Amino acid sequence: MEEEYEILENTVKDFNTKYVDNNSMKLENDEMGKEFVKMLADQGFLSMTYQPGAGKNTDIKAFSIVLENLAKSAPAISLKTLLTNSFLSIVNEQSILDEVAKGEKSGTVTFSDLLVGKGQNGKLLIENNRVKGEKQFVLGSDSDFIVTTLDTGELVLLRSGFKVGKKHKRLGFRSVGFASIVVDSDDFKVIDKDGTRMLQKLYEDLSVPVAAMSLGMSEGVSQKALDYAKVRTAFGHYLKDFQPLAFELTSQIAEMEILKKYFHDIVSSTVNQKEAMFLKVKALALAKDISKTSLQIHGGYGYLEDFGVEKFYRDSMALSVLFHHEEKDMEKLSGMVFESRAGFV
Amino acid sequence: MDFELSDDVKGAIARAKDFADKYFTEEIAERADSEEQFPSDIVAISKKEKILDFSNPWQVLVTIEELVRRDPGLGISVTISAFGAEIFMFFGNDAQKEKYMNPVFAGKKSLGLGVTEASGGSDVASITTEAKLDGDSYILNGGKMFISNGQIADNFLVLARTSPAPSPEKKHRGLSVFVVDAKSPGFGINKLHGKLGVRATNTAELIFDNVRVPKENMVGEEGKGFYYIMTFFNISRIYVAAQGLGIAHGALDRLIEYSKKYADHSETGELKEDMQLAIAEIATRVEATRNITYKAASYLFKFTPNPIVTSMAKFYAAESAVFSTQKAMELMSLHGLTSDLERFFRDAKILDIWEGTTEVEKLIITRMMLKEGGA
Ligand SMILES: Cc1cc2nc3c(=O)[nH]c(=O)nc-3n(C[C@H](O)[C@H](O)[C@H](O)COP(=O)(O)OP(=O)(O)OC[C@H]3O[C@@H](n4cnc5c(N)ncnc54)[C@H](O)[C@@H]3O)c2cc1C
Repeated sequence: MEEEYEILENTVKDFNTKYVDNNSMKLENDEMGKEFVKMLADQGFLSMTYQPGAGKNTDIKAFSIVLENLAKSAPAISLKTLLTNSFLSIVNEQSILDEVAKGEKSGTVTFSDLLVGKGQNGKLLIENNRVKGEKQFVLGSDSDFIVTTLDTGELVLLRSGFKVGKKHKRLGFRSVGFASIVVDSDDFKVIDKDGTRMLQKLYEDLSVPVAAMSLGMSEGVSQKALDYAKVRTAFGHYLKDFQPLAFELTSQIAEMEILKKYFHDIVSSTVNQKEAMFLKVKALALAKDISKTSLQIHGGYGYLEDFGVEKFYRDSMALSVLFHHEEKDMEKLSGMVFESRAGFV
Repeated sequence: MDFELSDDVKGAIARAKDFADKYFTEEIAERADSEEQFPSDIVAISKKEKILDFSNPWQVLVTIEELVRRDPGLGISVTISAFGAEIFMFFGNDAQKEKYMNPVFAGKKSLGLGVTEASGGSDVASITTEAKLDGDSYILNGGKMFISNGQIADNFLVLARTSPAPSPEKKHRGLSVFVVDAKSPGFGINKLHGKLGVRATNTAELIFDNVRVPKENMVGEEGKGFYYIMTFFNISRIYVAAQGLGIAHGALDRLIEYSKKYADHSETGELKEDMQLAIAEIATRVEATRNITYKAASYLFKFTPNPIVTSMAKFYAAESAVFSTQKAMELMSLHGLTSDLERFFRDAKILDIWEGTTEVEKLIITRMMLKEGGA
């Protein structure tokens, strides 16, 4: 890895050691708090897609390294970073960009329109110059600014005039708001008339960042399993000595290392969409598998939050629902593989 | 071979369904889960209404299955009050049965079983809790980890070492089972918080600091505790398999319900083949789990337990529960993530761990098959 990226990786690791690892349960289960978000911003993690003074410019490799390494310790913090940067990449209002990049305010983008059928996540329309209605499944619903699509297809930025509605169950990422929002706002801006297309593009561009998060989660949780298996004994042996545990974890780590190489190849050149989707699909599946194995290796302790393993089990599943649609994504990918429409019957 | 259930058993299923309809509301299930609160009210009602009829183990089995299918946390909480009671049934004396077992079966008292320790649960023979004879009583020192009903049970069956192991290979000797009153001086209980799932159930760490237990509280013979516990697991694992069956079936219910409304949920409106095959696969697993669980149960309930089939049922049910909840979540997208399915997904994983991990069950199967020459 080039030196600048190595420095960045070490910066994130130091940040985890100093501010995350000792406090991760609160940061991931309760709330991150403004002060902590400010610290994330001060490190530049929240402004990977837009830098105040310098404008928009995403170094996908740097962005991915940040997400990957934050996810090793605390997936929820990585998700917060992903959402904030997604927001910054799509919004164009200078003052809002600066406030969000500096961690003074927060912003999110809703992707649920791409994941559920029409009319399944509420109704949001412009009536008499006001955006009115409700939107379900808003990840980051506790944000100050929200980018979302209307039923008529426009992508809008809501600056105010919305409040949190029904809170959804939260399998993962519990410190990131997940609720419906109730909107009655005249403080909005239409970003794009063809909002769904723009949102789709953003969602596709997130394939590599989501894969980076997934890989970070795999690395974080498997490290815990490796450490535990070296010290815990049963029947007079270290757990690492038992073939079923050692072989399964090893084989998943092999898969992880191969994916990491592929990931570094992808981010080191112009991102190819098909490869990015290959990576996302495989990295998400691995994060779920390796979390399951790592939890199992921890036995009863894996089932308790104190050991910091069960969160990966929840978060990896949640991530794979929030940023992957089994039917739609696979149909798209199959189309690319077959070079013609495929997998739709 | 007859796969038809008796009318009594069908009646138990119907009663369990009614009970769940009435009391297992989403609001109650969600509260118990989010607050990690044992649903004492519902458990009390279930006892009053005699939802579990211990005189017929088939009825107990299908009741567990049906209640867990509605909600695993509440279902297990309602059906776990007598955890360990079979140890009295098979190895206790009349006085112990009268004093400890009957009140549990009558729904008046709750029981817990303390085997696992902080240093390990799979390797039961390595436990270190000690019971030393002192006059007319034993003095217990040590601790137990992850004990279900920890704060709720009136009494616990506790495995402790009463004499040193004759050799490292024979560690399973010298262990005995005691019934311990939770109010005994020196008996400490710490509730464990932050479980991934089954958060309605109560789990605690038990601490024995010079707990004095009358000699007559030893269950069965001294030194035979390991055998008693293993015999018990060969019973309880069938009920755990029923929990797995309930969870897998619950996931199937939700996926089928979702697929019926698929036209509303999806843009295309068509139920594509990937979803159809997933439903078929989960349904097949549910059926296979039921067959193997009922087969294990039928051996046991005729007093000819078959530990190989029991372990097969337990691990297969656990894996099916985990598989089915995960698959359903993946296919139901945000609708699954924001519904009670997410609770099922978290709850399912416990089945791979408690009462013998999946790895341990598989080892038992092979070792017994090699020893006995088949299932
Ligand atoms: C919510 C909850 C409730 C519980 N309730 C009770 C209760 O009421 N009473 C009670 O006594 N216990 C209870 N338990 C404890 C439970 O039975 C143990 O957690 C379980 O037996 C595993 O023990 P362990 O956690 O110590 O894991 P370990 O024994 O340390 O095992 C860790 C890992 O190593 C694997 N492993 C161990 N040996 C081998 C081997 N030879 N080969 C391959 N892999 C191996 C295991 O499969 C597991 O994956 C409960 C646990 C939980 C989480």
